[in-house]
Amino acid sequence: MKFWMRRIAFYIITLWAAISLNFLLPRLLPGDPAAIMLGKLRRANGGRPLSEETIKAITSILGAEKGSTLWDQYLAYWGRLLHGDLGVSSTRYPAPVGELIAAALPWTVTLVGAATIISFVLGIIAGAWVGWFRGTWVDQLVPITTFLQSIPYFWLALVLVAVFSVQLGLLPIIGGYDVFEFPAGPEWTPAFFASAFVHALLPAATIVISSVGGWLLGMRNMMVQTMSEDYVLTAEAKGLRPSRIRTAYAARNASIPSLAGFGIALGFVVAGSIVTEQVFSYPGLGKLMIQSVQGLDYALMQGVFLVITLTVLAANFLIDLLYGFIDPRVRRDG
Amino acid sequence: MHDNRWRKTLPLVAGAAALALALAGCTPGGSPSGGDRPLRMWSGSMTPITNNFNPFAVDTATHMTFGAIYEPLFFFNQLSDDAPVGMLGDSYEFNEDGTVLTVTIKPDLKWSDGEALTAEDVAFSLGYGSNLDPDMVSVEATDGTTVVVTYSSPKFTATSLILGSTWIIPKHIWSEIDDYMTETNPKPVGSGPYTLKSFTDAAYTLEANPLFRDGAPAITEVQDIGIDSNQSSEDLLKTGKLDWVGQFIANPDGVTSNGRISTMNQQQDPTVIMTCADASMGCAGAQTDPAVRQALNVAIDRGAISSKAFAGLSGEASPSFALLPRDEKWLSDPSLAVSPQEPDAATAEGILEAAGYTKGNDGFYGKDGTAIELDLFSPDGWTDYNDAAKLISAQAAKAGIRVNARTVSEAEYWTPISTGEFQLALYGITQSLVADPFSNYDRYFTTTATAKVGEEPTKGQNYARYTNPAVDEAVKQAGATQDEAIKKDAYAIVQTEIARDLPYIPVVLNASQSFFNTADFTGWPTEDDLYAAPLPYLSTASAVILTHLRPVEK
Repeated sequence: MKFWMRRIAFYIITLWAAISLNFLLPRLLPGDPAAIMLGKLRRANGGRPLSEETIKAITSILGAEKGSTLWDQYLAYWGRLLHGDLGVSSTRYPAPVGELIAAALPWTVTLVGAATIISFVLGIIAGAWVGWFRGTWVDQLVPITTFLQSIPYFWLALVLVAVFSVQLGLLPIIGGYDVFEFPAGPEWTPAFFASAFVHALLPAATIVISSVGGWLLGMRNMMVQTMSEDYVLTAEAKGLRPSRIRTAYAARNASIPSLAGFGIALGFVVAGSIVTEQVFSYPGLGKLMIQSVQGLDYALMQGVFLVITLTVLAANFLIDLLYGFIDPRVRRDG
Repeated sequence: MHDNRWRKTLPLVAGAAALALALAGCTPGGSPSGGDRPLRMWSGSMTPITNNFNPFAVDTATHMTFGAIYEPLFFFNQLSDDAPVGMLGDSYEFNEDGTVLTVTIKPDLKWSDGEALTAEDVAFSLGYGSNLDPDMVSVEATDGTTVVVTYSSPKFTATSLILGSTWIIPKHIWSEIDDYMTETNPKPVGSGPYTLKSFTDAAYTLEANPLFRDGAPAITEVQDIGIDSNQSSEDLLKTGKLDWVGQFIANPDGVTSNGRISTMNQQQDPTVIMTCADASMGCAGAQTDPAVRQALNVAIDRGAISSKAFAGLSGEASPSFALLPRDEKWLSDPSLAVSPQEPDAATAEGILEAAGYTKGNDGFYGKDGTAIELDLFSPDGWTDYNDAAKLISAQAAKAGIRVNARTVSEAEYWTPISTGEFQLALYGITQSLVADPFSNYDRYFTTTATAKVGEEPTKGQNYARYTNPAVDEAVKQAGATQDEAIKKDAYAIVQTEIARDLPYIPVVLNASQSFFNTADFTGWPTEDDLYAAPLPYLSTASAVILTHLRPVEK
């Protein structure tokens, strides 16, 4: 019990630190969002002088915090956060940050989440296999996959689009669904889900291709190490079927370190894949993050970072719990 | 073992990549038929598109708000010096001294909700929200189609602003809106050729407005799509999914070779090296000395910059900041027509030496023991600007001027520019929208349009912090008259002064490429009939083009 209490206390402190950092970091960036927005308005306005009223309205929304102390801003930040108010985006003014995140989150979680799981499962299965048949031709899979991983992601994506979408016309080029077929937006029909699935294929494939190598390499090496353990030798001496030794004895134990890595990878799923979303114009959080950083949109930045922080912490917490069950050594009180 | 492994795998992967590239070189077939399908365009919006149709949100509202849904009184074609075309407006007239503007609108106009559009609405719009000019004394609808606006100062030069980019809104709706800044106006009621059909954050669709004054346009549906990268839009264009885009494509033949897509290239907006020019305004650095700017002006190789950084698509900039040949009649001195296209290091060195600079042992000029070292920055990811900056740095070095090119994030770009804490920046100037360079001079060169370093200009965009009483006086004169002879004399002064002082060193005229589907749609502008610029991201012009288009009969 004492172990769990300690873990929970640790997470509460981490949460507080993360949220406070989240408040502080955007303020360390150079530039003033009100100045940026006023500048944009001036250029967009085609020379029309901005009225005093407009300037006041903008600075009171985006630059109001200028006069108050950092501490007051910090308290106000917590106050709003506890009310569930993430503020108003300045780059997409006057859209509320909460709505933007809510619209982007399902896409990111589905696409990047599915791709991460596929990549992990593929990597573990193939890694176990390659490890088992170490020294034979299947070992070639290791350099091939690590090579694929080292290809710049956007280049890989461009080549895949050029071949499968532009040349062969098999797969769509952009979007989370067919905006030409469904101009009114997402609907709960099988046709829509089919469209969304087809649109996710290329982005997901790119993520898998460029990340499977890491899982495979890690798993293969653990597998090789596990196979030299005494219990594997014992199992072989007992005359167990090789396939049983491979899965139940070697692979099962070899996958434990990868599982920890998987937990962390899952936590980062919500951060999205910035480049994927950019190249495929795929809806998602990563894009919101980069746009908010570029446009110095503090509210959006903080909102996105908050969601990412919370999921990483939650994923870690889950893995902590899981680990406690799988491996008794970690939860020993003392 | 290690080497052996690579020999086996590498050719395989390299082969796959080569195959992919070879395939990408060909062009695909297959074209969806025209006729009843919507016209699909990319006006430059990125996903997620914000659901905002408020014409006062000039920066964040959807593109089609401006022109297709809400209209100005007149359309000013920035490609020609023809008289403005009436949209809602029928005619307009200034009094002698430019303080009273009388506008007559067309009769029997309707809003898209069926209500009548009268002079009341126009008067309301001119006095509403950010349209309200502080100089306006009164605005009055004298009858159903006539509006009289009185100002406290001459407004000749604001003609295109008042008539060409003030969006006329329905009084019966907007008089009930409290805060015009935070309104998102999700169900816009306008007077333009289209009304909103459906909206998503990936794309939105407009349908023809049956109550439009000229009858519903022939293109019954228009879809504007959010796309995050130029490559995607180029691919969509090639595969026949998009009909109209305005973007940079280095190799336009790859898109147009299938015969479905045509292209045009307008060269309008100057790219300049903006300098923080005036030490008396607080600027610091060697560039505050006009001699350094003049030396830099002749040291750079504009021909090479145009071909290497701008793919040879850009035009030749003029130090007069008049757009040629459109503004031909306003050019005072033919020698100011074009900036030098070839580098001239010897002249540059001569200018510096005459100004008291000496060459140091490292081959770079300096004065009183301090070498010239200038900082030139551009926003990271604006690759043409980044490349141009690198070229400028190398070319200046040949003439003994040290210019350090660097890239910064967009946020770090706009902040120093608006506060004046910079030395040199690559910058894009917006060309005047009418065939008269007045707004260029007024916005970018006058003292009223600038502010001291550390403060932001509140009126105009003279971020170069340039001040020159002669220019101020001449611009004031030109603005107060409609007499062409007086204007020409005033412009002659401005052009001589700014071409000598060079607060903005012209580099090139940016290319604005447009690509449009001529196989399924007809009526696009041609070189002979440039009734509007075919750039989908321009307000009003894009709507004017949409009303000219017809599906191709097949």
